[in-house]
Amino acid sequence: MTATHLATIPAQRPRPAVFRAAGGFLAELSKDKAAFAGFLFLVLVVLAAVFAPLLAPHDPAAQSVLARLKPPAWTARGSAEHLLGTDMLGRDVLSRLLYGARASLLVGTSVVLLAGSFGVLLGLVSGYRGGRTDTVIMRVVDVFVAFPGLLLTLLLVAMIGPSTPTMIVVLAFSNWMIYTRLVRGIVMSMRTTPFIEAAEVLGCGPRRILQVHVLPNLVPPLLTLAILEFTNILLAEAALSFLGLGVQPPGTSWGLDIANGKNYMLLAWWPITFPGLAIALTVLSINLFANWLRVTTDPAEREKRHARGRLRLLRRKAAANG
Amino acid sequence: MAKFLVNRLVQGMLVILGVTLVVFVATRLVGDPVQMMLPLSASAEQRAAFSQELGLDQPIGTQFLSFAADLLRFDFGDSLWQRRPALDIVLAKLPKTLQLIAAGFGFAVAFGIPLGALAAVRPDGLLDRIIVSVSLIGLSVPQFWLGLILVMVFAVNLGLFPTSGSGSLAHIVLPAVTLGIPSMARIMMLTRSSVIAELNQQYVRTARARGLPFRRILFGHTMRNILVPVLTLTGWEVISAWAGYTVVVETVFAWPGLGMTAMNAINHSDMFLLQAIVFVVAVGIVLVSILLDALYKLIDPRIDLA
Amino acid sequence: MKPDTMLKAALLGAAIAVASPVLAANITIAIGSEPSTLDPQQRDDGAERAVTDNIFETLLARQPDGTLVPGLAAAMPEQIDDLTWEFKLREGVTFHNGEPFNADSVVTSVERIIDPAYASEQMAYLATIAGAEKVDDLTVRITTKAPDPVLPARMYWMKMVPAAYSSDPAFAQAPVGTGPYQMAAWNHGEDIELAAYPDYWGDAPQIEGVSYRFIAEGGTRVAGLMAGELDLIRNLYPEFLGAVPNSTAVPGLETSVIVLSTENPVVSDPKVREAMNIAIDREALAEALFAGLAEPAHGQLVNPKSFGFNPEIRAYDYDPDRAKALIEEAGATGKTVTLVGEAGRWLKDRELIEAVGAYWQEAGLNVEIHIEEFGEYLNQLFDKDHRPDSIFVVNSDELLDADRPLTAAMEYGASYASNADEEMAAQIQAARAETDVEARKALYAEITRKGHDLSYLVPLLNQEDIYAMSDRLSWTPRIDAKLLVKEMSVSE
Repeated sequence: MTATHLATIPAQRPRPAVFRAAGGFLAELSKDKAAFAGFLFLVLVVLAAVFAPLLAPHDPAAQSVLARLKPPAWTARGSAEHLLGTDMLGRDVLSRLLYGARASLLVGTSVVLLAGSFGVLLGLVSGYRGGRTDTVIMRVVDVFVAFPGLLLTLLLVAMIGPSTPTMIVVLAFSNWMIYTRLVRGIVMSMRTTPFIEAAEVLGCGPRRILQVHVLPNLVPPLLTLAILEFTNILLAEAALSFLGLGVQPPGTSWGLDIANGKNYMLLAWWPITFPGLAIALTVLSINLFANWLRVTTDPAEREKRHARGRLRLLRRKAAANG
Repeated sequence: MAKFLVNRLVQGMLVILGVTLVVFVATRLVGDPVQMMLPLSASAEQRAAFSQELGLDQPIGTQFLSFAADLLRFDFGDSLWQRRPALDIVLAKLPKTLQLIAAGFGFAVAFGIPLGALAAVRPDGLLDRIIVSVSLIGLSVPQFWLGLILVMVFAVNLGLFPTSGSGSLAHIVLPAVTLGIPSMARIMMLTRSSVIAELNQQYVRTARARGLPFRRILFGHTMRNILVPVLTLTGWEVISAWAGYTVVVETVFAWPGLGMTAMNAINHSDMFLLQAIVFVVAVGIVLVSILLDALYKLIDPRIDLA
Repeated sequence: MKPDTMLKAALLGAAIAVASPVLAANITIAIGSEPSTLDPQQRDDGAERAVTDNIFETLLARQPDGTLVPGLAAAMPEQIDDLTWEFKLREGVTFHNGEPFNADSVVTSVERIIDPAYASEQMAYLATIAGAEKVDDLTVRITTKAPDPVLPARMYWMKMVPAAYSSDPAFAQAPVGTGPYQMAAWNHGEDIELAAYPDYWGDAPQIEGVSYRFIAEGGTRVAGLMAGELDLIRNLYPEFLGAVPNSTAVPGLETSVIVLSTENPVVSDPKVREAMNIAIDREALAEALFAGLAEPAHGQLVNPKSFGFNPEIRAYDYDPDRAKALIEEAGATGKTVTLVGEAGRWLKDRELIEAVGAYWQEAGLNVEIHIEEFGEYLNQLFDKDHRPDSIFVVNSDELLDADRPLTAAMEYGASYASNADEEMAAQIQAARAETDVEARKALYAEITRKGHDLSYLVPLLNQEDIYAMSDRLSWTPRIDAKLLVKEMSVSE
């Protein structure tokens, strides 16, 4: 079996390394069913966001006074025209759901990038320079960490004037500290390792040391952190939009749709149920995927998982045998 | 200990100063409360007079000096919306929010720790899988949505609890559960992983080998050791709820605490009230985190706080 | 009695108290927010009024249909001269704390509310009042700064407070009036409770006690009603009419309107403005958005129940073809018109604005809708130098008199009028000071007619107030939207 498999490979055109890596990644991921399902759902959300204009059956902002609060297609009064029904302004719930994915991903990605790059930069400086610079930066971080997070965010957004860009900047403003702490910790611990010391002795400049030796070691934990932070931002965006301080109409966002639908929830369950499920499933998927990623990129955890898998296999065999 | 306290107090002052500065800048430079406060039919003269009465026609530097001077006397000015001292309003609403947090975290701890420990007894067992899945879901559901669903199911359809407001013990159940669920999930996860790690320690194996009942090991020895991480987490969860998530929950349930007051203040552009709220919340955060650190020291004297 | 017998007796008593029908005559009403004070003269706050309307009374009252009748006054006032009105007071009325109601109470009430140091938010309704003087114990004269025909309506607004206790700081928390209900408890953050006042001068109310709960969100109020926690809520969304146990509606005080700028390029043409009026199918809007519980405005901003309403003017016809033709004729087809509005302040505001925009678009204009955040919306509403082409606003006619709506929307330079018609401004000012009832009516007829013919405004709908009630409550709502518990009754 193994022999034939190996034999077929040279016959094919050599695949680019990217595809091979992607293939390996998917093969490994598919072993963890929950994480795999999560990943698939995330791909779906991204596709929905990117291709919303093509996929959406209706203009998400188009109101229709005559088609208000129509239930989903499969219910008694539903119609195929509105698969997930319409909201209190007669807007198509499915189309709004697809466009709403854009707001969530846009805000999540922008905030993570913005806060992440700022936080990482400060963390690198703090960890590498050490001494007084480190003390000052970490003191600033301590102060920021003790800020009343969501409340201050609400207040700042309300005062500056609610809009998507405002929300992105303010969320980044109150969420960069965790990256600084992580990066500083890792850099600090690495500075004392022999190979960095050796590099310094050999006359490598700080920039080169950071680029060549430090950054590669930072990527796996940073990636996991960024993904987990992404869920926090997603939930914060939904909460802000729900309170009327996030995405503004005629824009769409899942949180905003729940806010719009809540006054009618006793008459119509669908305008708040679907966006709520969308948020919950997206966050859940990210959590499942991030959990897998953390284990996969951490050698110690990998070892444990491997051992557990073998143990289970052995048990199963033992059970089958007797 | 004394040095530690002084250190933390100084840092706390810095935090409070920083927060009030940010709030001052945000409210003075960006918002215009005059427009919002007066009725639609007010004349230009009435608007100017109102602005003058509040000192909003002064240069920003002068405004800041008088603001800082008032702050030292704990005077936040009168709420524009309620027309009485802002700090009085905040202090009057404070107990309701504290009740909500106490109930919410009472729930989170009371369920999170035992369930987490239970899950850890047989990692990857059926019970563990169920508990872990539930906590993952608890972490993923947005609180405001959960609150709405709970109202729809338990208050309107089943009639078990009131739909909103406060007053009786039954009123606090749904808001407390809504506030507590994500924290319960996190406490559960952490308890689970700490107990698993602890059960793999040599002393547990030895104890088991010597035939000590498992329950005694679990609750006698292990629990004491996982107390520090779980306590830390709970502390930070309390802080993050106090620093904002109560706003969401109180809004959904019309719970008359600080969070709902903050939303009202935002909707009325009541900057004096907002300043007072943020100040009190910042002081709360500083106090809780100092308390938390001091508690570690009591539990585990080896911890170095300097 | 032995201790345990006493205990049993007490328990039995408690059980009887719980089961007795007295408690059944208590109702719960939802209001939008917790009042900051129950001093009835300080704030201009609908939630506070909902409570204090039952504790306090006014010299003149209104019947449910809006007719002014004597309240604490024994008869309608007599006008002595241009600036002076004389009120005879009802005899034998006492405040809940035993203070008598007499000329001193009236003088105190008037002087208290107009005192600049007191800074009452209600001065917008009472600004013309100069003072009050006692003639004898049951006769008072109220003077105005200028001739003021609206004074009787103003005295329907001003609540009467006790002469002595009103200066006590406790008054704002534990108010005392002459009304059918007195303060029972104020549980901050939870509710305000009132109980029937046994010595009320009028007919004793059927309902023994009322509790007000503070619920800001419309959806939460409906949930509370449907879960049986509330007996009465207001501002019900029309969609819920079929879902709530019981509901009722009455033509209200609010009229939605769009103010057109006569000075901006495209809308300066009266033909375009007329087209913008007849392009809108108001009947369809009333039906679709308000479930029929709204009425097309009668071609003017003045409420049909108000003094100064012009019955000669009919609602603008819906004639989309003629609208299109008029716009074509004016050469405005495809020209851009901005429509400024807000969302969330008034019932169905956003829906109404967008629907109107769609009608105009259909008539050939290129409509740009700007839904602004409320602060920014107010900036634009009051910006005297840059009038938006059209701006949406909802006018509430509390005094049931043409003066306030016309001053706000049509008097050049006064508030948010968008015309530059100085002649009309002078007419509105003259009408404000005209004390001859017929002459004043004639002036308003002229003003409203001109406003209609030149289409300064696009009056949209006179909205109805919709109330939802529990099954046991019966009540006929009032045009002035007051929640008078003495007019309600419950059946078990």
